[in-house]
Amino acid sequence: MNTQANISAMLASTRMRLQFLSRYPGQLVMDLVLPIVLAAMPIFLGSAGGASNAEAVFEANTGTSNYVAYLLIGSAVLNLVTNAFWHMAYWLRREQELGTLETLYQAPTPRIWIAGGTAIYSAVRSVSTAILAYGIGCWIMHVDPFTGEVGLALIFVLVGLIPLYSLTLLFGAVILKVKEANALVSLMQWVVIFLMGVYYPITIFPPLVKLLSLLFPPTWMTNGVRAALLGVGYFFGTWYKDLAVLWIFMLITPWLGWWVFTRVENNVRRNEGMGQY
Amino acid sequence: MQKDRSPQTVSLSSFWSTFIAMARKELIIMARYPVNFVASFGQVFLTVAVFTLAGRLFYDAPAGQSSLSNGSNPAGIVVYGFVLYLFLNDTLWTIGYNVRNEQVQGTLEQLYLSPASKFANLVARITNILIWTGLLTIAGGALMSVLIGRLPAENLPLGLYLFILTLMGTFGVGFAFAALTLQIKETAQTLANLLQFAFLVLCANFFPFAALPPFLLHLSRLIPLAYAVDAFRSTLMGFPEGFPELAPFRVEFWIVTIFGLVMPFLGYYLYRASERKARKEGSLSNY
Repeated sequence: MNTQANISAMLASTRMRLQFLSRYPGQLVMDLVLPIVLAAMPIFLGSAGGASNAEAVFEANTGTSNYVAYLLIGSAVLNLVTNAFWHMAYWLRREQELGTLETLYQAPTPRIWIAGGTAIYSAVRSVSTAILAYGIGCWIMHVDPFTGEVGLALIFVLVGLIPLYSLTLLFGAVILKVKEANALVSLMQWVVIFLMGVYYPITIFPPLVKLLSLLFPPTWMTNGVRAALLGVGYFFGTWYKDLAVLWIFMLITPWLGWWVFTRVENNVRRNEGMGQY
Repeated sequence: MQKDRSPQTVSLSSFWSTFIAMARKELIIMARYPVNFVASFGQVFLTVAVFTLAGRLFYDAPAGQSSLSNGSNPAGIVVYGFVLYLFLNDTLWTIGYNVRNEQVQGTLEQLYLSPASKFANLVARITNILIWTGLLTIAGGALMSVLIGRLPAENLPLGLYLFILTLMGTFGVGFAFAALTLQIKETAQTLANLLQFAFLVLCANFFPFAALPPFLLHLSRLIPLAYAVDAFRSTLMGFPEGFPELAPFRVEFWIVTIFGLVMPFLGYYLYRASERKARKEGSLSNY
């Protein structure tokens, strides 16, 4: 198949998933509510249960006194990351359950294009709801969402999406192998949340955990957005150096993710078959 | 016509037999997914770590700097709120989820043709989970107190009383939610998710009620569970100044007691009514 036909198949896959989503508006509401509620927990805890000078303590720990925006950014990025994992990791599982996976493997379109279609769907859904949730959260809590360099923050998000979605292929491989892996993916999701500093700066970690955290692309994305909007400081001091690290991830992770995924996939095809679940 | 066997018409030995058989069935299913056990344990630890580290940013100044904090510590609020949250999550939603699963698996209709106690059938569904949650709670609470600070533990018998009554009340809400599940089917999952987060905020499990904006605080005052959370943690913290927050303790005590005694009967009544309606309409196995 030529590239044009492949792109057409990819966009058809995106359109189909968006159509499915339009039939379940409750899921979109949850996408909007969840980041706000998850950010509200530490915000409420901090503002009422912590010290009387909570803002000053928070600023000493993070570099900004705007804890509402700081935590909302963390929770919006969290929404992006968890959606990416669930949408991509469960893409093949869902096809298995619907009985369409074996058929998909007979189609002439390479799976990378279909995976790309799912990734575009997931990115469109997650980025738009994350931005909206951040805006609504800031509005509810009376904070200006557009302080700092908004354009730069968006660049960090967009560049960070490619390594993020590449890494989700690793989770897709786990699902293919383990099958009923809901609990495992939930656990991995929390490992990721813990490591990427959703609600706190990773500087609070001991050196080894901090190193692990820095090997994970969303850590750079979260900090990049926070630094651009709230001025909490970049890991390497300037925005272009941090962005360069994300570019390096962008070059390495797609190959790594696809390599692991195809190896597991070939293994599964040789043994029990793709349609088994 | 099939005889409608309510718990009153089923003998005690038959009730226990059904309860044990159903609990064993659920245990066998749980044991077949050991990854779930390990993962849920790890998940609780990580959830605790994430939220407590976030909370510390507000009251724990970084090393090498003079402490900006006034020394206040939300350990009791967070830990006891978290304990109730874990149990409430199980009792509130698991019964409904299980009924839904039986529908999806196609076994609900058959279960209702059997003469077994419906009540034992419902309660057995969460027995194993409650035991597992008990273990998670002990481990999670210990981790939290290590991360946040020393845990206050006053008035333990009164705390236990409030805990048991709260659990009984949430069983009732769980039955009522299962009744709703039979009616709204697929929408139940989304509704459960929404309610779960709404309760999380309105019952203030992880923060003091004082943090809620006034309009949300008014809503909280309408929910008996919010009084249960407030009374439970205020009791175990030894009624520090400003606690309980929603009402005087005497009032909260009676709200929790009435909630715990009345709600199971009300919830079960609603469940039976919903089940009868579904049977009449022939929609018990539709999902």
